[in-house]
Amino acid sequence: MSSREEILNRLRGNVRETYDFPDLGFRKLEFADPVAQYVETTVTTAGARVFEIKPTDDLNEKIREAYPDAKIIASNVPGIKADKNPDTVERAQDLEDVDVGVIKGEVACAENGCVWIPQTMKEKAVCFASETLVILVSKQNIVSNMHEAYERIKFNDYGFGTFISGPSKTADIEQSLVYGAQAARGVTIFLTE
Amino acid sequence: MSTKHSIAAEKFNQDSGRVTRHDQTFWSVRSKRDGLAYQLEEWEQLRESANLIKKHTITHLADYLEQFETNARKNGVHVHWAKDADEYNDIVMQIMREHNVKKVVKSKSMLTEECHLNDNLIRHGIDVVETDLGERILQLMEIPPSHIVMPAIHVTREEVAACFREKGIIEKHGAHAAEGLLKEGEDWRTSSDPTYLTRAARYHLRDNFMEADCGMTGGNFGIAETGDIVVCTNEGNADMSTSIPKLHIVSIGLEKIIPNYKAMGVFQRLLARHGTGQATTVYTSHFRKPRPGAEMHIILVDNGRSSILGNIEHWQTLKCMRCGACMNTCPVYRRSGGYSYTYFIPGPIGVNLGMLKDKDANYHNCSACSLCMSCDNVCPVKVDLSTQIYKWRQELDSMGHADPMKKMMSAGMQTLFEHPSLYTTALKFAPLANHVPAFMTNIKANAWCYGHTMPEFAKESFHTLWKKGKVK
Ligand code: SF4
Repeated sequence: MSSREEILNRLRGNVRETYDFPDLGFRKLEFADPVAQYVETTVTTAGARVFEIKPTDDLNEKIREAYPDAKIIASNVPGIKADKNPDTVERAQDLEDVDVGVIKGEVACAENGCVWIPQTMKEKAVCFASETLVILVSKQNIVSNMHEAYERIKFNDYGFGTFISGPSKTADIEQSLVYGAQAARGVTIFLTE
Repeated sequence: MSTKHSIAAEKFNQDSGRVTRHDQTFWSVRSKRDGLAYQLEEWEQLRESANLIKKHTITHLADYLEQFETNARKNGVHVHWAKDADEYNDIVMQIMREHNVKKVVKSKSMLTEECHLNDNLIRHGIDVVETDLGERILQLMEIPPSHIVMPAIHVTREEVAACFREKGIIEKHGAHAAEGLLKEGEDWRTSSDPTYLTRAARYHLRDNFMEADCGMTGGNFGIAETGDIVVCTNEGNADMSTSIPKLHIVSIGLEKIIPNYKAMGVFQRLLARHGTGQATTVYTSHFRKPRPGAEMHIILVDNGRSSILGNIEHWQTLKCMRCGACMNTCPVYRRSGGYSYTYFIPGPIGVNLGMLKDKDANYHNCSACSLCMSCDNVCPVKVDLSTQIYKWRQELDSMGHADPMKKMMSAGMQTLFEHPSLYTTALKFAPLANHVPAFMTNIKANAWCYGHTMPEFAKESFHTLWKKGKVK
């Protein structure tokens, strides 16, 4: 008998009582103004910045404004002037020296600042290895809680997606909070209409 | 009679500064959790749902595992089954050999700790680098974790700095890490500033991410409906480990499978709030398919779990999602530290898992409980931790490990509680004990007082106050 069968048989043999999946219809946290709450959560607990972007704004100028010292920008978002493209770099390692990665978020959640970022590029390293991130989020796509977020998120053929709430952080040395552990050290959310 | 836990705890308590810091650190995490709980009206409904979802899943685990496997395979992921630690290690080695792996970057996983993966990799000449900062510190210092979520919290910044110097990390990355960070006159060669040390570790780990040929992660959840593996971190190290090497190996215990995204919503909201007192981890990553040009393997590990399901008294330990809340709140853990336990997982859940793994080696930890039940009250999935510890203690009796002195006293207490009139009389005279010199109530010959200082009895008991109408 294979280990697989052995394990499955033992599991089946060891069940006594069974339980039903519960009803999750209870009332969940809702904000009167999820956009305002999302901004509040993001700039306080999540440790990111939020820039409000008007339809007349030039995104490339705003990126400069957010990160004036940046030398290498990486993005595959149409209209963004980038020095590297995560779709065309040969290897993930080629994105190691990126100062700003510009990526798109699809759903944002007000209760905890999470933004859903599906992989839309060949090398997702741009989402993690870049020193800093600019994440584009539309005000139309902000929900109150994670239950709603999970109902909305979609996968594409790349088969990867991540919720990011802000810069990478750690408190592993004597519990003092430090931003910029292994992944992006800073995150700026561009909140579009 | 002393247990290994009580002896080690006594040693830990000799450094009162360290104990106080340890205690306060974890209590502050517990308090942060409470702060978040008060913000959610549905808090208790979430906990009860989590409890029921876990009970449901665990009692239908074979079906969900099959569904998970089918979906993961459809996604182009290789799925393996390991009945024990040996088979698990063999599978890992086989995959690594096929890919000619020389260096592995690894994100934190209690399962790999349980199966002694790192020792095995090193024995086969594979360089393994832990990438969670805390785990990396421990790996470099060659000491085990003392907590499942904050593994190196007991190490001081000076100890970290000394270790980084000794291992050449400061020499290689210190000057770069110090840029724009350290104050005038502060020397990067000797600084123990946590931001600076974290920066140095960042550069050190970057080099490793770029060179590794395999990334290994655990998984907080596996979703049967879609085949997703969900990994939650704050540092982004699981994502770095899987975005650069062309091989990703996931190791998860069978009990990590949950049915669907509805369940995921419940657990995502509870995990970080309970574990670290944050509304979320920074990253909640869903791995469904391998990266373009890469390979992804999932190893489903039993190692005793399917047998635990058949244990009427202890099967509910399988609900545990390793959030760490029960250790953060445990007064014994907070004041005795992770190393006082004989099992690598400390605290209330560790006492139980240790007993399920090896009673003779781990019965010592059963004394590490005051039956205050705080753990039951904080556990996000309602594992009945203290009841289980109580049951183990009953069993110790038949194993011949119970402490005879404490047993006699417990029997005495039971007599009191079972006879209300005797109880009231005893209470009436209890204040007299206030006038008994401390050496009589606090002497070492008295097994109960040893480690339990005598509380001052109130002049009037709650019972009499209530009767006299003084309590409103
Ligand atoms: S038993 Fe409960 S509180 Fe303890 S680690 Fe597991 S899930 Fe968390």
